Formats: sequence, C-alpha cells, structure tokens
Amino acid sequence: MSSQQSRNFLTYLNFYFFLFFIICLIPNCKKNTNKSSSSTKTTISISGAFALYPLTVKWAEEFNKIYPNIRIDISAGGAGKGMTDALAGMVDLGMFSRAITKVEKDRGMWYIAVTKDAVLPTISAHNPYLQELKLTGLRKDDLHSIFISGKLGDWGSALGITHDQAIHVYTRSDACGAAGTWAEYLGGVQENLKGIGIFGDPGLADAVKKDPLGIGYNNTIYIYRQDTKQKYDGLEVIPIDINENGLVDIDENFYGNMDQIIEAIGTGKYPSPPARELYFVAKEKPSSGNVITFLKWVLQDGQKYVLEAGYVPLKNTRISEELSKLAGN
Amino acid sequence: MKMSRRKIIDILCSSWMLACLSFVLLIPLIMLLGLVLKSLPILESQSVSDLFFNSMWSPTEGNYGFATFIISSCMVTALSFIFAGPICLLSAIYLTQYAQKRLLILMQPVIDILAGIPSVVYGVWGILVIVPMISQYISPLFGVQSSGYSILAGGVVLAVMSIPFILSLIIEVFNNIPLELKEASLSVGATRWETIKFVILPKGFSGIMAAFGLGVSKAFGETIAVLMVVGNVSQIPTDLFSAGYPLPALIANNYGEMMSIPQYESVLMLAALILFMIVIIFNFFARLAVFHSEVS
Repeated sequence: MSSQQSRNFLTYLNFYFFLFFIICLIPNCKKNTNKSSSSTKTTISISGAFALYPLTVKWAEEFNKIYPNIRIDISAGGAGKGMTDALAGMVDLGMFSRAITKVEKDRGMWYIAVTKDAVLPTISAHNPYLQELKLTGLRKDDLHSIFISGKLGDWGSALGITHDQAIHVYTRSDACGAAGTWAEYLGGVQENLKGIGIFGDPGLADAVKKDPLGIGYNNTIYIYRQDTKQKYDGLEVIPIDINENGLVDIDENFYGNMDQIIEAIGTGKYPSPPARELYFVAKEKPSSGNVITFLKWVLQDGQKYVLEAGYVPLKNTRISEELSKLAGN
Repeated sequence: MKMSRRKIIDILCSSWMLACLSFVLLIPLIMLLGLVLKSLPILESQSVSDLFFNSMWSPTEGNYGFATFIISSCMVTALSFIFAGPICLLSAIYLTQYAQKRLLILMQPVIDILAGIPSVVYGVWGILVIVPMISQYISPLFGVQSSGYSILAGGVVLAVMSIPFILSLIIEVFNNIPLELKEASLSVGATRWETIKFVILPKGFSGIMAAFGLGVSKAFGETIAVLMVVGNVSQIPTDLFSAGYPLPALIANNYGEMMSIPQYESVLMLAALILFMIVIIFNFFARLAVFHSEVS
C-alpha cells in the first residue's frame, strides 16, 4: 500500500517537474510570437502615475464598450514606476505626471499629452488656523520656506501671528509626478522637499487629514470627490496668494469645489506648475495597432469623459499637436 | 522489461531533482553576480568610504551617502529584535514546557496564519493603529512631538511580523530536545524553572541563536510594511520617534527614478548588494549556530 502510494507520489512529482520545465520554456515562445504579430495583441498594459490612474480607468471602461476585444490592464504605482516600466518594455504605456527631464528625452522616450490637472497644497480640516489660512492664503515664498528651506517651522510665523505650533510637513516617499511638479513650482526637485515621506497619493492625503498640524500636497483628483465634486471629508486646500498682496482675492479663490478648480486650471488662473499636463509614455513610438487606436480614441472621443472625471481637457490646438505624433501609422 | 522501465523512471527522477537543485543553488550566485556587475560603475567613480560613511543623499547633485540608510535599517531591525526576541522566547518556553499539548496544537494554525498575512496588510495595520498610537499616546509620554511615522513604528510592525517566524523556529528547537534530559533533571529534584534554566536553555542555546539570526535577517530585508510607517526621511535618526529611511525602502521608493538620473541605477543596485551581503552574513552566522546545535 505504502509503496504504491509513494510510487504515485513520485509520478506526480515527475509530472510537476515536467510542467515546470514547460512553463520555463513558455516565455521564450511567447517572445517569438509577440514579435511577429504585435498588431493582433489584444491586451494593452498600462502602469504609473496615481494622478492619471482614475481617468485611465474611466477611459478603459468607455473604450471597452466600443472595442470589447481589447483588454486594458492598469496599475498605479507612481510616475517613476510608469517611466521605468515603459522604458524597460514591461508595459505598453506608462502614465506620467510631471515635466519630462532632459535625461529622459535623451533616452529617446516617446510621450503624448492626454489631459491636464494640478497639484494643490493640502491641510487637515481640523487645522486650528484654517480660517486665517483661507483668508490670507500662503505665498509661493512661504511654501518654499515650509517645503524646501525649512525656515518656516511653525504655523504662527507663516501667518504672521504669535502662536508657535509646529508645522508637520508631509511629502511623497515614492518617485512621483506630484512631488516633482510641486518641487518644480517651488524651484527644486523631489529630493529637496522636506518632510515625512508617505507612500502613494491616497496615503499622503490620509496622513494630512489625520494630522491637524500637517501640510502636504495632492493631485486634484485625490482632494475632490468624483461623484459630488466636493472635497473629501477632513481635507482642505490652502489657497495660494498668487498676487502676493497678503489676501485671497475673489479671483484667487477657486477651491470651493472641483468645477471651480478645473476652470481655474483650464483658464490658467491657477499657475502652471503646479498645474501640469499628464502624459502617456513609451519606450518608442508605439507600433501596436491597438495602442494607437486607444491613444487616438483618448485624444478625440475620450476627451469628453475628462471633465466629468475631474480633469482639464486639452485645448484643441494641443490635441491636434499630439495627434500629429500618432500620424504615419 | 519491467526492470528497465523502473530503472528509467529512477534515472529520470534523479536527474530532474538534480536539475532543480542546481537551479536553486545557482539563483543566489546569479543574483550576486548581476548586482556586482551593475554596481561596478558607481564603485569605480566614487570612493567606498564616501559611499558608506557619508550621510549626504542628493542624487541629482551626485551625493550618494548610504550611512543614513544603513543606520536606519540597523535601528529598525534591532528594535524589532528587542521587542520580538523576549516575547518569542518566553512564549515558546510556555508553549513547550508548561502548556498542555492541546494549546500547542491550537497555536500552530495561529502562527501559520500570522506568518501568511501579506506584509502590505501589516503595513496598513501599522498606519491605522501603530502610527496614531505613537503620535497621540506614546510620544507625549516621553515629552516628544512626533507624527508617529517613526523608527519606533517600523520596529513595532517588524516585530509583529517576525514573531510567527522566530516563534515557530524556537518551538521546533525545544521540541527537539530529548525528553529524557528534562526527566532526569526533574527526577533529581530540580524545579521546573531550574530545569528550564539549567537544562533546556543551555541545550537549545545555539538553536535559539539561530532562530534569532534568521528572524533578524528576514526583518532586515522586509520592505513594504516598514516603508509605509517609517517616514522615509534621509536623516540620521536622533531618537526612536524620528523618521528613518531603511535600505529596502530606499530601493523600493526610488526604483522609479532609476531611468531619470545618471548613475542612479548603479547606486540602487549597490544598495541592493549591501542588503544582500548583510542578509547573507546574518544567515551565515545563524546557520553556523544551527550546525553547532546539531553537532552538540
């Protein structure tokens, strides 16, 4: 009985090893078939920026209604991951959410702008100085002193009043577009941003929400709810005093709901950076027909879902510029 | 005929097994080789002492000092060991020496479940429970203001994660100590505690050390759970309530920038190499202890 069992067991073992061996061989076969028939590939893989993730999910949904046989796999992991994955050829498209650096351009990466949004400075709704902050806002210099030079360490001196509750600065730990764009606005790069590093956009929003003395920055889409267009409970935006007169004027006050901020980004009232275009990036100009179809659809029909998803549609001139990058296929 | 069929199966089996074994043996070597090759460029362009003892980290300006990361890693790991070590040792003693057999049987699946929880879940738990607890209750006790994202939070989360791992190893060690030794000690009139102190613990000493060593090396490399609660600030932590930035978190966070800054890839690969070497060294000594415990 037991020898019978052990023989069976060995046969199974052998079978599994054989299976394992076959599986090991598969990637090689796959590579070959991929090369010959890349245009018939039915999956588009996308990874990268948290900022672009919700919109890409929406696009994929709508796109699938028209092209049900093209599957789109999307994962969020920060702009840096999108760039690295795309350059390594692990995904078809990377989502990318900051200005593209010279080094990246030199590596020959291909990119296409698809929409616009912004990074806004955020605080907890329980911040004891919320009312003052909403009245006076913070100037770019103040934000620089808080996030980069670290000279402004307490809320009192940021507002010019005598209180000394320390400012708790939060930043993103992962290489990401929001941090890159925010740092660019303040004249630096991500590594210059001070503060406790939190992983991911939702994580940072949560940390700021919980800490009454905290300050951070988030993409618009993680501040305002897509359904109600209102801010998430517990999260508030610090108005930027753009003309630096020490007051938040009427035309500087556009943080009430999602529609207002989107309009301000679209008309350029909110400065850029921290407003910025969002991109899809790839190692080289996509050769797969499906990817091109998807990108063309995104720039044409896809743009009508942009507003409702909480982003700023590209201007028509920008769209035709970007479409011309796709021409020739 | 039958004989030859059996022979063939025998040969097939052994060759498959040998092939698999050599594959497993080759993996660490291939990894090591890859890491060394990838980190050569940075080792050639910067002095080793600068890389290891400098605490300046600003990749865009070409400063790659690993000191803060290595120190943070060591602090978090040591802290987790301080928390987990005694807890594991004492519960293992209780489970194997005092408790009824039933409790041990009951504990086994609990330990397995704890060990099987994905580390990202431990991380989320850390953010939801440990971080607020430290910022609201523990740090005020010491008169320190802290956001909670700290070395301490990392240490606690890591300790909880390594408990099932170390605990099951130590239980194994105690179960392997011959019952006769214990019986002999008790029969000459030693109390239970004396038996544990003078017989069980010395006999299992090297096994316990091995369990600790393996636990520490596992803790040292743990990434995502620690990354989520430790704060990720590249500074040398001044106390347990300040944020730190361990090596694995450095690699995971900046993996994305690899392509945008020259030399960055090489630097991160060097970080991985350092991690790899430290874990190997820990493992080596732990295995040495295992070897001793089996010989004696």
